[in-house]
Amino acid sequence: MPLFLKKNWVYILLIIVIILLGYLAYAQSGWSLVQEGFLKGFSILWHELPLLTAAFLTAGFLQALVKKEFITRWLGKDSGVKGILLACLGGGLIPGGPYAYYPIANALLKSGAGLGVLIAFVTAKNLWSVSRIPLEIAILGTTITVRRYLITFLIPPVLGIITEKIFGKFIKSILENVE
Amino acid sequence: MNTATIILWIIALVMFLFSWKDSPDTVKRGGLLSFQTTKQNGLLIVLAFVIVGFVNVLSPQKLVQEWIGPASGLQGILLAEVVGMLLPGGPYVVFPLIAILSEAGAGIAPVITLITSWSTQSLLTLSFELPLMGWRFMLIRWVLGLGIPLLAGAAVLLLWG
Repeated sequence: MPLFLKKNWVYILLIIVIILLGYLAYAQSGWSLVQEGFLKGFSILWHELPLLTAAFLTAGFLQALVKKEFITRWLGKDSGVKGILLACLGGGLIPGGPYAYYPIANALLKSGAGLGVLIAFVTAKNLWSVSRIPLEIAILGTTITVRRYLITFLIPPVLGIITEKIFGKFIKSILENVE
Repeated sequence: MNTATIILWIIALVMFLFSWKDSPDTVKRGGLLSFQTTKQNGLLIVLAFVIVGFVNVLSPQKLVQEWIGPASGLQGILLAEVVGMLLPGGPYVVFPLIAILSEAGAGIAPVITLITSWSTQSLLTLSFELPLMGWRFMLIRWVLGLGIPLLAGAAVLLLWG
């Protein structure tokens, strides 16, 4: 049993979250809302399937194509500020939600990218996201959008550099988590 | 089919063409690696989408709207950080809601904290990050990120009141 738990705790955790949310839905308006929750989830999944497929194909071919030495040199733990800036650029340009960029980050991790680089990639995706700018300007206006970009512009590279300095040595055990 | 999907398919296609040019073996390995990653994470991603579905039908948006109201100053920033973590969905869902809050009188500092917190601290995103990046990465990124929306809000307060 402990081994089963150890091997499957991510599944168990997600299922517990589903049960809790399901209970909230049930308490709010009975079984119909529980059913609606499942249906909504599957319908979003169905809708995002083309994006998911593209993301997993990109992740797979990226791993097959890019030689480990190349990743180690450009994005590995010793790639320094150059690697972190490169990761920021990639993160800022890549479109799609978490189910698109995490498979790609997963591929980079498996191919030998450093922790600071991966943090910079994810944070730049979250804060620089170029594909989000038109929508942000259209809905929230130029003032809010410009000020937000100015204020958060330095965060992805700085966070990447700091994380690499403090936690960079944990990259091996982080890699073990996903293998 | 949206722009993100089209761009990502173009990237996937370019990757495939480069693999094809490289060698038949690279193509085979690429396909195999894609399949393995999908097999390894497929069920977890389905579970993550069920979570997304439930959060959607429970629509915490209404709650958020009542909750944050026109709160301002440092208190508004703190509240905005917490609310940002709970906001579900992509920019199409979240930005209109933030626009409503902004029009209802939320100051620019809490609004920017809110956007930043939703961007970097979203709890719903963690259900994809945990399976694909592992708990160590998730923990380091999320905990280090906690201060960012607050700093952003405080900077906005200082610069633009």
